[in-house]
Amino acid sequence: MSDFDSAGALSKSAPKSLAALMAEGAERAGLWRPDELGAIFRHQLSAPILVDLGGLDSATAARLKLLAEAQSLLLKSFSDLLLHPAPPVELLSLTKDFAKANMDHPESSLPKEVAAVLYYASISAALVRRGERISQLKDAELERGLRWAKDQPWVDKQIQQLLVQALNKMPGAGTGSDATL
Amino acid sequence: MDMSSESPSSIFPRTDWSELAQTSEADEARLDRLIRLYWTPLRIFLVASFPSLKEQAEVLLQEFAEDKILKKGWLQRADRGRGKFRDFLKTSLRNFVLDRLDRVEVKRPPVPLDELEQELPGPEATAEEFDLTWVRTVLAETLRRMEADCKDPKADQPRRGNIWEMFRIRLLEPILNDAPQAPYEQLIERFGLKSPTDASNMLLSGKRIFKAHLTRVIKDYAEQDAVAAAEIQELEEFVARLAGGG
Repeated sequence: MSDFDSAGALSKSAPKSLAALMAEGAERAGLWRPDELGAIFRHQLSAPILVDLGGLDSATAARLKLLAEAQSLLLKSFSDLLLHPAPPVELLSLTKDFAKANMDHPESSLPKEVAAVLYYASISAALVRRGERISQLKDAELERGLRWAKDQPWVDKQIQQLLVQALNKMPGAGTGSDATL
Repeated sequence: MDMSSESPSSIFPRTDWSELAQTSEADEARLDRLIRLYWTPLRIFLVASFPSLKEQAEVLLQEFAEDKILKKGWLQRADRGRGKFRDFLKTSLRNFVLDRLDRVEVKRPPVPLDELEQELPGPEATAEEFDLTWVRTVLAETLRRMEADCKDPKADQPRRGNIWEMFRIRLLEPILNDAPQAPYEQLIERFGLKSPTDASNMLLSGKRIFKAHLTRVIKDYAEQDAVAAAEIQELEEFVARLAGGG
């Protein structure tokens, strides 16, 4: 059927290869290299919010349209939203929920790592720009997540900066453990 | 048994068994099909257990596949959810060969049965080789079915063939042939995708199809969902342990 001889290749393959192949059906972690995750993240940031979030349900879609239009069509992408000086908290909350759903869904097309950074970035934007906590996570959990997101090498500088600012707003910040880039 | 469908380059017969509706198959036919599929690990087990019978291995296996006692044992397994099919086959084959040797022994006793049994290598080494070949056979059958499925012209998704190609290029070639991992930009260009998430989606579809076929291949003999899941986990742990041990 193709030039690739699966049976032939398998008959010579070492246990390590067999283990790697057996694991392929099990998880989506490790699908992409770090540089590729960066490209996917940049693509996700530039994706139209209304397309991605609008898929939730019709009432949400209508509400989203209203929120985005209230910002004089400035909020076209996730990047616009996260870097806006005063982003609508409701829109950030929906973004957080969208990211969480993708993190938890084993069949999501969005890599888990990318969804997780989007999740923490939306929480950060609410905390930094609007002074609001949109997450139920405990302080220690949230701080750990923010640090993890900040430390991903493929996250761009502006989002890293936002994550650092959020870390500095966490209780306990200013006690000598301020985050820096 | 007709072995004409066996490809010389294949480690198992090439008959497309997936075309057969499992529900309409008689149990005996299914056992016959499974023995054909797992012919190579069975042969390895037979030769490892009885090295002096190497030259007669094919004939013995043919006779084993047609053995009435084996079929009776298969049909009468009290609880198919308990006990592994692999163990059932090994035990049945060993008993079959010992029975044959016993009969030969009565007629012509050049080599005492005790001596033949002393030839047996350590049971662990034999079991390991058998299980390793079993995993290879399971994966080869999984990939064969996946490729056929993705390239099926009757499939609803017109670009399903690309899923196989993506899976092959991005995962199979690097894992099995040590090929460099194709960067996603190259994949996007090759398959005419609009974004990296499209590529991600296609690769995930490939993984899902792979997983579905892997489960089906194992369920063909494990029969029950829970037993199949436990078998997959056991085979995963087995190869991971071998990989870890070098």
